[in-house]
Amino acid sequence: MASRGVDLGAVEAFADGDVQRVEAGGRGLVVVRRGDVFYVLRDICPHQGARLSDGQVTGQVAECSLGGEAVLARDGEILVCPWHGWQFDLCTGRSLVDGEKNRVRSYPVRIAAGRVLLELD
Amino acid sequence: MSQVEPAVETQEASTFSLIDCDVHNYPNSIEELMPYLSARWQAYVRQSGFSGPGGPTYPKGFAQAARRDAWPPSGLKPGGDPDFAREQLLDEWGIDLAILNPLYGMTALHNLDFANALMRAVNEWTADTWLGSDTRWRGSIVVNANDPKNAAAEIKRVSADRRFVQVLLLVRSSAPYGKRQFRPIFAAACEAGLPVGLHFGGSGNPITACGWPSYYIEDHTAMSQAFEAQLVSIVCEGVFCEFPELRLALIEGGFAWLPGLMWRLDKNYRGLHSEVPWLKKLPSEYILEHCCATTQPMEEPKNPQHLMQIIEMIGRDEFLLFATDYPHWDFDSPDRALPPVIAGDLRQKIVVDNAVAFYGF
Repeated sequence: MASRGVDLGAVEAFADGDVQRVEAGGRGLVVVRRGDVFYVLRDICPHQGARLSDGQVTGQVAECSLGGEAVLARDGEILVCPWHGWQFDLCTGRSLVDGEKNRVRSYPVRIAAGRVLLELD
Repeated sequence: MSQVEPAVETQEASTFSLIDCDVHNYPNSIEELMPYLSARWQAYVRQSGFSGPGGPTYPKGFAQAARRDAWPPSGLKPGGDPDFAREQLLDEWGIDLAILNPLYGMTALHNLDFANALMRAVNEWTADTWLGSDTRWRGSIVVNANDPKNAAAEIKRVSADRRFVQVLLLVRSSAPYGKRQFRPIFAAACEAGLPVGLHFGGSGNPITACGWPSYYIEDHTAMSQAFEAQLVSIVCEGVFCEFPELRLALIEGGFAWLPGLMWRLDKNYRGLHSEVPWLKKLPSEYILEHCCATTQPMEEPKNPQHLMQIIEMIGRDEFLLFATDYPHWDFDSPDRALPPVIAGDLRQKIVVDNAVAFYGF
């Protein structure tokens, strides 16, 4: 049986592209809406503890050869920490550098009855 | 220079007991280079009274920056008498191979054509006067970094003589060597199968990042700033990405600053890597894969164990190469410079094995 989930708020409460902090289940969370997709991460950078909700959403500069055209890929899927610029994959919470070691917890969400619901174990 | 490629005579590397990766040879005067200059440049030298590039901006504490006992009885200058250097360095210390780095400052000259003529002359003089005098000498190809295209041509020309084992650049350049204008030099070195040696000194820019200091003590101590700037530039500008086979020796710049630099660079890479999307791994990984550093001038902490900690922080026993810097005043003695805490396999690597592997002796 599916869990009820923790209610993070109405879908309309999250503007497309916004980065928002919410509190749920005793945790600070950062919510990013991209169209119909919602990403939720713990709102704390594993580096020095900054609130990721003060950060910006961007893309990933694709690897390229020296002097080649640097292309921004995955626009809207990367969250940049406001302090030292560490970049996290919104889908996985992993840092783009040393992602195995440096990651922030990500949470699954689902939409039901116009509400954003966080799935907690 | 002989048109016939000279043979490289050497003993088996397994029998080596000491390799010196930084020794200096100097023409005693411009007259020694005259046979290697064209009639046009000979006339120019005679008419202009040119006696050599620059003078010491900072008097070096000792004349010619040399040990007082390195003045040969022949009346020649320190580093100017191959026979005396052989006796005082190679024979005295049982050195099996020694790399000559002529610090002839042709890059201080603004006339590129004259500087290039001197560049070629110094290389030919080194081959004839020094490499021919003892099979234990190895040479570095001097290049005019201000003219990368002609520097590359010189590397191609001289590298046929396999007694030359590296390309020599001076660390204080007119611009950081990672800039794309310098690529022909790195390309030519790689094509020739030679490492690039980045050595203390130069003329392009102030020694410190905040301008010219007043004293030689500042010059000598702060030169590591230039090494740091060059290494950061070379890594971040993707030189090692473009030339995966490139080897870079940091000569006479110290090494205790390296752990901090690598930590800073790796940390910044985590936040700023999108600026340099050609890098495929942490900057420190490029440094450790491609670079070595010579030991002289040894950093000498009060507690020698701290030196071991620095080496441990660098994280690669293959990183250091022993050097004396003969005939300079800050010569590191082969029997005293490495403290006893550097022992066993690590010591053997530093005094022989690492140079054998890096230079392919």
